[in-house]
Amino acid sequence: MKLVRLVMLGMVLAAASSYAAFAQGTPAPKDAALYFIWPLDGATLKGAFWCRFGLRNMGVTHAGDTFPNSGHHHLLIDVNEPIDSKEPIPQDKSHLHFGAGQTETRLELAPGKHTLQLVLGDAKHYPFNPPLISKKITITVK
Amino acid sequence: MRGEIRQIHPRKGGGSPGEPIPRRLAVIMAGDIAGYSRLMNIDEEGTHARLKRILREVVEPTIAEHHGRLVKTTGDGFIAIFDSPVEAVRCGIVIQQSMVGRNASVPAQQALLYRIGVNLGDVIVDSNEVFGDGVNIAVRLEGIATPGQVYISGGVYEQIKHKLVCGYQSLGDRQVKNITDPVRVYRVLPDPAAFMETQKRREIGFVVLASIVLLAIAGSLWYTMRPGRDLNVARSSAPAASAPETSRTTESAAAIAPSAAPAISPQGTSPASPQAGSFSPATPQGASPQPASPPSASPSVKEPEMAQLPGGSFSMGSNEDPSEKPVHQVAIKPFALSKFPVTVRQWNECAAANACEFTALGDENAPVTNVSWTDTKQYLGWLEQVTHKPYRLPSEAEWEYAARGGTQTKYWWGDQLQAGMANCKNCVAIASASADFPAKVGSFRPNPFGLYDMGGGVDQWVEDCWHRNYQGAPNDGSPWMDGDCVSHVIRSGSWKNDASYVRPANRDHYDTGVRYPTHGFRVALSP
Ligand SMILES: [Cu+2]
Repeated sequence: MKLVRLVMLGMVLAAASSYAAFAQGTPAPKDAALYFIWPLDGATLKGAFWCRFGLRNMGVTHAGDTFPNSGHHHLLIDVNEPIDSKEPIPQDKSHLHFGAGQTETRLELAPGKHTLQLVLGDAKHYPFNPPLISKKITITVK
Repeated sequence: MRGEIRQIHPRKGGGSPGEPIPRRLAVIMAGDIAGYSRLMNIDEEGTHARLKRILREVVEPTIAEHHGRLVKTTGDGFIAIFDSPVEAVRCGIVIQQSMVGRNASVPAQQALLYRIGVNLGDVIVDSNEVFGDGVNIAVRLEGIATPGQVYISGGVYEQIKHKLVCGYQSLGDRQVKNITDPVRVYRVLPDPAAFMETQKRREIGFVVLASIVLLAIAGSLWYTMRPGRDLNVARSSAPAASAPETSRTTESAAAIAPSAAPAISPQGTSPASPQAGSFSPATPQGASPQPASPPSASPSVKEPEMAQLPGGSFSMGSNEDPSEKPVHQVAIKPFALSKFPVTVRQWNECAAANACEFTALGDENAPVTNVSWTDTKQYLGWLEQVTHKPYRLPSEAEWEYAARGGTQTKYWWGDQLQAGMANCKNCVAIASASADFPAKVGSFRPNPFGLYDMGGGVDQWVEDCWHRNYQGAPNDGSPWMDGDCVSHVIRSGSWKNDASYVRPANRDHYDTGVRYPTHGFRVALSP
């Protein structure tokens, strides 16, 4: 039974990978997880702080690299619109790209409440399928 | 294979006797591929080629990004030095994480896995060699590391334990050959949760293996059946819509110079009529004299249409965003700036000459997109070669001066947003604008300097490194180059950004070597 399930999973992954050639929706492993190592949800921080990105069961690579099971980080600051998986992740002051393979960044935000969320992007900055998105955390800057 | 690293060399050439040997404290990283000789036995050429690629695409750039220096490479290994233990360990983690992605596409027995050791110690650094006990210990740590992992010495651990949020597992003291004191060894767990994961690993391993095998089969099937394997376009832009928009290509094929009529005529106030600079419509006028012999390489290449800008002084920056402060006075020398961003057609002339790496897609007269700052240098190098003129990127100060067109208002046409003035997300809905490509260059009104698309359209790379505000910025119009140059400045905002990005003072930045579908550029020339 278990074996059958595994083979099925493999076939789904394989099908997804060939689909990726024609459209966006690069497949991500089912057990991949994107999360904040730091800061923690609900944290109160003073001034500038380091924000560290955690990724499990996938690799970090440069934007432009098309290796399977790897992508690059995007940090969304105070973004409320949902991510459109048919569009590249936007590039602006609230959608930061880490296409050089960075796994952390120094943030200096205005005092007050902010939300942070991570989205993993593929070689061309599109979200994966299913989208690999972290929990949206809320922090307070003093 | 590794012997040459392990042994301590006498200094090359000897140097003059009595000359002090420059010793210094450094963080040394040693890496090598586990089971390299076994892999070479299976497939010598393939393994060698894959490893070379990994060095070039993963190891070298990652070391550079972490401010390290690759001192030497051997058959299957490398030695790098860093000033910062945090950067060195982070670099090790990033290399290992990148390798996970790389290895996902090959069968498990052909996976290339690095063992990495990091030590802090006294070394003697030569141009392409590094010596000392510090190196020997790094190599020893690498030797005992589990493939795919980073092992660090106690000295490194002490430096980073409070700075780098990782899991660290002590492996106790190890004796190192020829070194009296034992070395404390730690295993780095990039993800603190990995501690808990170890138990589940065996189970997951099987799933991963099964999926990898199936993926590999599917992948190779797909690869052989894939239609239109055009390698030239493989890394180019336009992810979703790979076919250019045929509906618009017929409109104006002749010259990139559009008519002055904007796509939508603005209501009410009209901007000041262009007065500065020369606006000779047809013949491009370079400031520097035409060389005696016409360029032989590519006589058909049309030079970009340039606008000659007068020199002057202006207030750079604004108080709207912290990055635009402080407002400061900058003097600009006369220079020329292309009237339009570089177009797909112009870029593809460079691509056709094999001087630019990819062929751009989209309307010929649309601005080229998906270019990195590094890519712009390819184009500029080629343009200089065929025109014998030192084309360059504008400096950030030159760009803002040009975008303001002699005004100090929020936008060049005034303080209020007006419909039909720029190609941005909320500026106006243009019927012909598609989501994937920006409007053709010159679809909107020129500013008082006769420049089109200075704000909206495509983001535009300038020469300067990114600095988070203008504290310490030059005031002579030169590019601001010092500092951490992993990221360069982009100006103008794109058709996908909102109106606040259209302001001439707006500034943003992006990783130097990374392509993004809204990024383009324009070219400048000094007289
Ligand atoms: Cu991205």
